[in-house]
Amino acid sequence: MEQVVRLAHGAGGVETSQILEELLFSRLEERLKRVEGGVGVDFPDDAAAIPIGGGRYLVITVDSYTVNPPFFPGGDIGVLAASGSINDVLMMGGKPIALLDAIVVEEGFPMDDLRRIVDSMTRVLRDEGVALIGGDFKVMPRGQLDKIVIATVGVGVAERLILDKPRPGDKIIVSGYLGDHGAVILARQMGIVEEGQGGGLASDVRPLTRLMLPLVEKYGEYIHAARDPTRGGLAMVLNDWAKASGTVIVVDEAAVPIRPQVAAYANMMGIDPLALASEGAAVLAVDPAVADEVLEFVRGLGFKDAAAVGEVRSSERYKGYVLLRTVVGGLRILEPPRGDLVPRIC
Amino acid sequence: MDAFRIYAVGIVQGVGFRPYVKMLADSLGVRGYVKNLGGGEVEIFVEGERAREFVDVLRERRPRAIVLEELVVERAEPRGYAAFEILKSGEEARAPSNIPPDMAICDECLREVLKGGDERRRGYYFNSCSFCGPRFSVIRRLPYDRENTSWAAFPMCPRCREEYSTPSVGGLRRYFYQGISCKHDGPRVRLLEPSGRAVDAADPVLEAAELVSRGFIVAVKGVGGYHIFAKASDDSVVAELRRRKRRPSQPFAVMALDLETARRLVEVDESSAELLASPQRPIVLLPKRKDSPASPLVSPGLDREGIFLPYTALQYILLSNIDDRFAIATSGNVHGEPMCTTLKCVLERLRGVVDYVLDHDLEIVHRVDDSVVRFTNGVATFIRRSRGYAPAWIKMPRRLEKPVVAFGADLQTAGAVAFNDKAVLTQYIGDLDSFQALEDLDRELRWFADAYRLRDFLLVCDKNPAYNSVRLCREWGEELGAEARQVQHHHAHALAAAADGGVDEPFVAVAIDGVGYGEDGAAWGGEVLYVEGTRYVRERHLPYVPMPGGDLAALRPARMAAAYFHTALGEVPRGLALYLPGGEAELALVEKELKSPRAWTSSAGRFLDAVAAALGVAWERTYEGEPAIKLEAAARGGGGLQFHAEDQVELFAEAVEAARRGASVRDVAYGVQLRLGQILGAWACDAAAKRGVGVAAVSGGAAVNDIILRGIAEEASRCGLRLVQHRRVPPGDGGIALGQVYYATYL
Ligand SMILES: [Fe+3]
Ligand SMILES: [Mg+2]
Ligand SMILES: [Zn+2]
Ligand SMILES: [Zn+2]
Repeated sequence: MEQVVRLAHGAGGVETSQILEELLFSRLEERLKRVEGGVGVDFPDDAAAIPIGGGRYLVITVDSYTVNPPFFPGGDIGVLAASGSINDVLMMGGKPIALLDAIVVEEGFPMDDLRRIVDSMTRVLRDEGVALIGGDFKVMPRGQLDKIVIATVGVGVAERLILDKPRPGDKIIVSGYLGDHGAVILARQMGIVEEGQGGGLASDVRPLTRLMLPLVEKYGEYIHAARDPTRGGLAMVLNDWAKASGTVIVVDEAAVPIRPQVAAYANMMGIDPLALASEGAAVLAVDPAVADEVLEFVRGLGFKDAAAVGEVRSSERYKGYVLLRTVVGGLRILEPPRGDLVPRIC
Repeated sequence: MDAFRIYAVGIVQGVGFRPYVKMLADSLGVRGYVKNLGGGEVEIFVEGERAREFVDVLRERRPRAIVLEELVVERAEPRGYAAFEILKSGEEARAPSNIPPDMAICDECLREVLKGGDERRRGYYFNSCSFCGPRFSVIRRLPYDRENTSWAAFPMCPRCREEYSTPSVGGLRRYFYQGISCKHDGPRVRLLEPSGRAVDAADPVLEAAELVSRGFIVAVKGVGGYHIFAKASDDSVVAELRRRKRRPSQPFAVMALDLETARRLVEVDESSAELLASPQRPIVLLPKRKDSPASPLVSPGLDREGIFLPYTALQYILLSNIDDRFAIATSGNVHGEPMCTTLKCVLERLRGVVDYVLDHDLEIVHRVDDSVVRFTNGVATFIRRSRGYAPAWIKMPRRLEKPVVAFGADLQTAGAVAFNDKAVLTQYIGDLDSFQALEDLDRELRWFADAYRLRDFLLVCDKNPAYNSVRLCREWGEELGAEARQVQHHHAHALAAAADGGVDEPFVAVAIDGVGYGEDGAAWGGEVLYVEGTRYVRERHLPYVPMPGGDLAALRPARMAAAYFHTALGEVPRGLALYLPGGEAELALVEKELKSPRAWTSSAGRFLDAVAAALGVAWERTYEGEPAIKLEAAARGGGGLQFHAEDQVELFAEAVEAARRGASVRDVAYGVQLRLGQILGAWACDAAAKRGVGVAAVSGGAAVNDIILRGIAEEASRCGLRLVQHRRVPPGDGGIALGQVYYATYL
């Protein structure tokens, strides 16, 4: 069978990790995987870091956004492109200061739509006080691109990096309902929710500045990992963490905040809601000594649906497993999400 | 004077074989020796006037616990021995023998319990002897000596010690019996509330029997785990048990006091009677009697009941004191999780399920579920190979160069270790999406590798990237630096059937099941293969149809029905929406996916699901194979409708058309399954003719289906193929580890 790139390769799950490892990371010399003293592709995290003296770091991240449809209940690709990169800087422990963008549009794209998208983006920048310091704009001939692609680079400064290294004993805290964004996008793509309607679903896309800046300021040293569960959702984040730290993470199924309508749609589409993307939620691994306090603090910041959903455990024999404690008390293995449908039920 | 040298191979350790041989020799006045060679082989030398008679008796009659795979008898020169002796051998420790499975209480032991002379054993709940009782479930490590078993916690009383150490006192059944015990020194039985609080009862077992008779649900510790006992004749009790276990329709097994009681519930012919009463005491699926006193809720929608007979004194006494003399005895687990083997598990997990717990303190080292057997095309076929059978090894027609650890598949699975020409399949492990089941697989494989002192082994697993068994296999590989091979699922099924049936030549295979990961990424499951050791050719397969939602299509048969309607008839009935939890919206989603499918399947299981849904026989799958099992049940008594389709897509259209014309569900269901078998059988004939081979093996989870097998067998006999059906391991994924092992013999 001829090998070709498949959609699954870009779905942000197991296949994406595999193709990147094979194509890129395994072929790159160790010394080229980071800037001396910083963090690069050698460590799976939200963003890269470059030391800038005084114990401080420049935090940089890049992401391209190709959401279809560009307008969806709860937001649009403009909000998404700005918030996404801001959140990645925040999850690294950085304070976002600037953004660069690259917009590629398909010939024939309605000017009004483009204006709305760019307005959305600049509104986020204005609200967050983040500067737009550069960018690029291109148009592709009709049919050579599906509507619009936006790439953004987020730049920030960190006093203390949050490198995702959960420790045994840490509590896993999520900042609120999960999977809202993934559910609405998927429902729209599958055509079960009409344009302009959410069917009770809406994306949670938003910057998490109001959560992360005060949190890092007050509890920074106790937060051993932070990630926004975008593609692959909570399942991907926790599997990454368990693997990287050689631990086992146990999640209480009943404790994970999922909206009933999200659960219902996910069930209908045959997708685990824990693998659905959020664009305005954070997952934290918090030192158990302050976990209760942190949870209260997060709720006090307006994230009232925040919840403690699990914990990190040390394990001799089984490393890198994420286990879901089901309502009946069993432990299910929560797999890292895949882009392919691989049936295994006999 | 005659003299013979005899080699016996089989289950000859831990089952009283050598004492039996000695007593037999003494009774006939022949002389010589018996010597354990290790590795499951025993050497016997006999000489004397009645040596020939000794050989005949050994060949024909022996305690049922002793299983001889091979008995080689050679004439020899007399050597002039003065007596018959049991010789010690150094080899014994070096090459571990067949680890004996757990055996049901023997007739003599039961007699002692019910009306025996010795007060120490009358009414004793744990009575057992050299020829019966728990083995594998209590063995902590090898060799099988008392201090290496759970019995170590029960120091022998003086009289047991005397029986144990003196042949004339202990006799054949107690002399040197590692599990010897009596009322005075054996395990204790207690009745508890689910809180763990003890219930005051003169006799906890009689009290438990009374409670079951009155409709209470009681966990009872057995040999390899806990059962849940409940009154099987009372609808409201069964319904309550279903509610508490969250098990809407999966059949419960029924334990009946004796064959007479069993005959009130099901049709028992001679071969099933023999199976039911065998020392292995499997659950046997047998045709329900119309006037069965069991509640229809025990196995809703099915034409068979799973029946088994008690296999411990405790179970006998319990059942004989339950009014009905039969009761539900289902495994004490929560849905999808392994059965409990500890009181702690029962108190934590089954708190909301049971009203009482009948506990005892003989520790269960290995979880061993009940085995399940059914008859397929006249052959006793394993659904689940566990208690009574595992971990007895399976001899293969070929030898391995180096030891193998095989990881099986993911659902209803078992693993295996193997060396030389022997494959040791683990007991039934279960579904590996449960972490505890995965741990069990890991632990048991390590245990067996250790017990058989295997080193430097090859690892073999499936090709499915989503399998937890494959993940475990990879982790072993990393940890041990061992080489791991991946074998395509149906290739392994085919090889399992070959190893099972002693086939060591190229053959064709019909591999039919739910799902196996195909080389092209599709979900295979209706395959005709040509197999030549490690090489196989996919000669033909059921045409691909979309599998909307992947695994979701397996969970919701209406999705597969939609896929078949779409493929076969180009239309999807709106009515299917009623049978999808997401209703219209979900059906719309399914239709959208049918236009650009993400997953394709040639699965026979998914085809049966689709037919079951289209005929209104089953709309959900709450246990493995539910729609297919119900479809088979729905076909009981059917016939008279011959379909002519050339593949399963056409067959679906033909079936729908027949149903619309007014044919009965029974006839359509029967006709579809028979025709599916005929189609596959005909393809196997074609492939065999093309390749010039004379053997067709049938394997895979759907190969337990009686009607499909009949169709395949018809065609095979028409074209003169020898049909090989599974006999020693399950056709389903519980047997796949044997195929993975057999693969390695060809490397
Ligand atoms: Fe299979
Ligand atoms: Mg981070
Ligand atoms: Zn006995
Ligand atoms: Zn005793």
